[in-house]
Amino acid sequence: MMLRGLWRRRWLSLALLVVAAVTVASASLGPLYAQAARTAVLRNALDGVPPDQRGWRVTSVHDDAADLARAVSAPYLRPPVLGAELLSPDPRGDRTYPLMWQDGQCGHVTLIKGRCPRSAMEIMVTRASGFRIGDGVKLTSIRTRVGTEDRLVPLRVVGVYRADPGDDFWFGRNLFTQTAGVSEGNGDPLLTVPETRALSGLPPGQRASDAASGSAWTGYAIVYTDPAALTGADLDGLEAVHARLAAMGRSGDVVTVFTRMADTLDAVRRQIGSLSVPVTLVTLQLVALGWLLLFLTVRDLAAARAPETALARLRGLGTARMWAFGLSEPVALLVAALPIGLAAGWAVAARMAAEFLRGDVPVTLDGPSLLYGPAAAAGGLLAAAAAARGAVTRPVVEQWRRTPRARRRTWIPEAVVIAVAAVGLVELLAGGPLSGSPGGGAGALLAPGLLAVAFALLARRLLPLACAALFRLTRSRGGIAPFLAVRQIARGGATGSTVIVLGAGLGLAVFAVAAWSVTSRNFDEVARVHNGAETVYVVRATDAAALRRMSDGIPDSAPVVRLPGPPAMLATDPARFAAVALWRPSYAGGHALEDLVPRLAAPVAPRVPLTGERIRVRVLGGELPAGWTAVLYASVRVPGQALLSEIPLARPRPGRATYEWGLPRACRTGGCELRGLRVETTPAGTVDYEHQPGDLLVTGLDVRHGDRWTPVDAGLGDRARWRPGVAGGPGLVLSMSLWGGPSAAVPATFPDPLPALANGTPGNRKLPGLDDAHGVGYAATVSAAAVPGLDAPGGLVDLELADRAAYGYSEKAEFQIWAAPGRAAPVLRGLRAAGVPVLATRTVDGLRTGFAGQGPGLALILLVVAAGAAALLALGRAVLALYVAARRRTLELAALEAAGARTGPLRRALLIEQAVTLTWASLAGVLAGVLAARVALPRMPEFTEPPSTPALVYTIIPGPVVLVGAAALVACLVAAAVTAELLLRGVRVDRLREAPA
Amino acid sequence: MTPTAPAVRCDGVVQIYKTREVEVVALRDIDLVVEDGESVALLGPSGAGKTTLLWLLAGLLRPSAGRLWLGGAEVGRLGPRALDRLRAAQIGVVLQNPARNLVPYASAAQNVAFAQRAVRRRSRQRTDDLLERVGLAPLRDRPAGLLSGGEQQRLAVAVALANRPRLLLADEPTSQLDAGSAAAVVELIKEMGPTSVVVTHDPGVGEAMSRTVTIRDGRIGAEGRDGEDFVVIGREGAVQLPPEYHGLLPPGSMARVEPVRDGVILRRAEP
Repeated sequence: MMLRGLWRRRWLSLALLVVAAVTVASASLGPLYAQAARTAVLRNALDGVPPDQRGWRVTSVHDDAADLARAVSAPYLRPPVLGAELLSPDPRGDRTYPLMWQDGQCGHVTLIKGRCPRSAMEIMVTRASGFRIGDGVKLTSIRTRVGTEDRLVPLRVVGVYRADPGDDFWFGRNLFTQTAGVSEGNGDPLLTVPETRALSGLPPGQRASDAASGSAWTGYAIVYTDPAALTGADLDGLEAVHARLAAMGRSGDVVTVFTRMADTLDAVRRQIGSLSVPVTLVTLQLVALGWLLLFLTVRDLAAARAPETALARLRGLGTARMWAFGLSEPVALLVAALPIGLAAGWAVAARMAAEFLRGDVPVTLDGPSLLYGPAAAAGGLLAAAAAARGAVTRPVVEQWRRTPRARRRTWIPEAVVIAVAAVGLVELLAGGPLSGSPGGGAGALLAPGLLAVAFALLARRLLPLACAALFRLTRSRGGIAPFLAVRQIARGGATGSTVIVLGAGLGLAVFAVAAWSVTSRNFDEVARVHNGAETVYVVRATDAAALRRMSDGIPDSAPVVRLPGPPAMLATDPARFAAVALWRPSYAGGHALEDLVPRLAAPVAPRVPLTGERIRVRVLGGELPAGWTAVLYASVRVPGQALLSEIPLARPRPGRATYEWGLPRACRTGGCELRGLRVETTPAGTVDYEHQPGDLLVTGLDVRHGDRWTPVDAGLGDRARWRPGVAGGPGLVLSMSLWGGPSAAVPATFPDPLPALANGTPGNRKLPGLDDAHGVGYAATVSAAAVPGLDAPGGLVDLELADRAAYGYSEKAEFQIWAAPGRAAPVLRGLRAAGVPVLATRTVDGLRTGFAGQGPGLALILLVVAAGAAALLALGRAVLALYVAARRRTLELAALEAAGARTGPLRRALLIEQAVTLTWASLAGVLAGVLAARVALPRMPEFTEPPSTPALVYTIIPGPVVLVGAAALVACLVAAAVTAELLLRGVRVDRLREAPA
Repeated sequence: MTPTAPAVRCDGVVQIYKTREVEVVALRDIDLVVEDGESVALLGPSGAGKTTLLWLLAGLLRPSAGRLWLGGAEVGRLGPRALDRLRAAQIGVVLQNPARNLVPYASAAQNVAFAQRAVRRRSRQRTDDLLERVGLAPLRDRPAGLLSGGEQQRLAVAVALANRPRLLLADEPTSQLDAGSAAAVVELIKEMGPTSVVVTHDPGVGEAMSRTVTIRDGRIGAEGRDGEDFVVIGREGAVQLPPEYHGLLPPGSMARVEPVRDGVILRRAEP
């Protein structure tokens, strides 16, 4: 019987089924999508990082590293890669070679000659080692005992290999980037087989620290995570694995665990943390909207079943049975909607995951998603019960007599909702505990829901009043159509739920679209500024001159060295930078970058190069009072060093005017530079302070290259070439007195402060400098709202000047080649042609995609998709409600027709009524959405780490909002026209013969 | 219902409908006793209060004043549950317009079973018997909405009798039926109904009942037994003259009361 009832009211039942299914789908979509997003975040984090940030290298001398690694076995960990290593010098002590084996090594090297080692004492070597096949290589740790004597056993070379240092297999070990004989005396690895180890095991009692001395093998196991097997739910387990391995590493020197997994896990935690709250809030709002729709639809269903319900009461069904009867159809539909909704939620989540996350993210119905769906259905049941209550409990006689009941106090819950919305709004604007709570401004996501409902409720109340005000006007003009329409709307009953549902749904949709468009614009702008150029290639660290040369040979490129901040520093060739950087004149008062970069230049003295083996200084005035000693130092910048070399040039003594000292070895081939002269004076304990030493006059500098001394052009007599200006006349004057003038001077080869294009006020802050060791003052010769390439407050300076100011290059300095828009491919070709390996490529698109893949961006996608669906549902429900309400009036329309009213005016009346209602609701929704966007957007998280530059912009982009509002309105009006037409075609005078049920 | 009590007893029943603006007195000072086994026709013009009295007898309304017993149970003292139980077990109701008695998409048999649901006495045999008795056995599986008016009315009677009620109430059971169908339905009510109260405009139905009660302006104006109509002396001695005598004693005129041995005589007083 129930099924027959459902079939009889099939369209209403279908509407309820759809609404219930969408509610369940909305509830399960959030958790499903969040689960997939967590997985994507985790996999993205592990995919894009170096090996040590996604794995562990467990090293042990005493324990078996394999056992240690297996102790943390998990399905998402790859089987450990085992290996062992023995660092051992050659017998002459010239070089130290890592003798090692690693499981599967032959599959990860390219054999140039020979073969892989197969048996003990066989090795393969790199070409750079200079060994040839068949050579015997002796290491001090590979010995055998012959009688009472230890003898070295040669390792036999059986192959020559080449390895890819970027291969994860080697766990990012710096094994192959060095060339034997050049870097610190370390040779390339000699790859052997495990059996070789048996000849040189760790003697009993020897500890790990001995391994460094080359007397012990060190076993290791490399454990990698398997991103493809990881899901968001494994994060806790992964953290536990990391904690366990980290604990092993802290247990002493027996086990060493090398990893930077903690950084990865921290980043993942932050991202996931920024995802959870927004997803929950979005889901709750959508489910609440779904419940409202369920309530209204069940109310319609209950109204449609009212005669049967009355009949059931007449037959004496008790209260419980009446409830069972009244709720039987809604419950059946809710139960049917549960699997449908779950399936729909899963399908949408899977589609969204593939579209917005990544293709390999599984979406599975797990505990929370299976819980949320029934919870939403249970909430729907309560809504259904609330809606059916009137029909079930209303006395039969009232139902039959259609007597109006006393007006319910519906304004009370509405007032509560509006008050809550107002309080929430004030709280949001004032930055109270909600928005200031942990989880950032995610609480701002409540604003759209609250405001949409509040506006819808207000609009619902205002519409009948507005129409009532038109009564007098329509009485005298406009014909019967507006007369009927405004009176029908003023009755309120037919339009109330429509305005509420459509206003709230559209409000959410408009907010979602506004939020998405504004956030996308911010993503674009931040990506554009942070990346600086459309494409940035990261190249191997070198020096400024080499980087400039690299760029000079490639059109449409610019050399950039980037130091992280704050304050962050970019050093570049200004003219080339201006040609490739993504600049907007609005950043700096409408000026083109080409016009600004000349301000980064400054007059400077020439550098003072020191090329040779020794340096000589000529001084005057080296007489010192008794008890005083003085040393004249030269500060020399040496290639490959981050710190200055301080050379004690002279210890002035009476009667001696010339002193000399050796230069660092690297200065023999050039590149050294004199960066300062200073004299340090030291009094003995018993000196007479009344008689201070005088000045030391440095009159000349020479360097010896080969057998020849060459004068150094240091400009010692030129005041403009030294800072402070103690130069002049015969030479540089340095005070040896404790209370005298300056005792040190530097060549004025760079301006201090450096002229900079700054994105903030420098104040007293200093840029890190290329060496990230000696802060460099900077002055904003150009101030800009944003500077391409700077993701933190800081400045852009001339690379040449920055290089002059620095004493070396920090490891943090990133060397980049920027490509002009649309010129990425030619620049890359140019780099390849020049033999420059590209370590990484960064694009604006990639950065933007990265932002969109962060927690807040992912939550926003959910909001847009779900709010769009909710708006469509609300639209459908609104049109259905209008249709149902109008259908109840077909008798009235039939009576009017019978009384002589023509169909045309009746059609117009119905159309006007529906159009006014839908337009009013749409306007309320758009207004609520725009207001919510204005209030909530500046307080809503858009990035996991809010960027400090550029300033985010929250002005609403009118296009998408107008588009959504207009589309909704047009859809409404078309639907209204169609329903009005359908309805009027069903109005026949002979219906008047039918008694109302 | 106690076996010795009359099926229906009204004692000064008043029924007032309250709406937002006005109060309407639908029934006033109704005194009526319907004994077990009686069949009573409630007659009277539209709006006189017949249907309201029927709803009171069905336990759907509580009297605004006065007392009403249904089989010895005073309606005013019964709670909603008890009233539901009373209605389910003891009272069968046939509403005006046969379609209103039925769930249109349910079959004839399901409609009867639906009525049995309230008393948990579902009996397929009883359903079949009833449908057989009302001549709808061949149509037991046809949806009620597809039956003709006469069939629907017969089915409505069957539904009303589904729980073997002691009191059958019917509101205009023949209003939309042709003469043949009407006669069949009346016969059915008389034959199958234990105690029945039927609201009707149809004099034929009234003649078929053992007793008629005429209601005018919310009062019982007359009763008819064995083909003879009597005016009823109401509380405070009020008498409603039948309309056919309004020519002799128009409403608003003055009359002299002349006592005689077994009553009084009303004579128009000359102005």
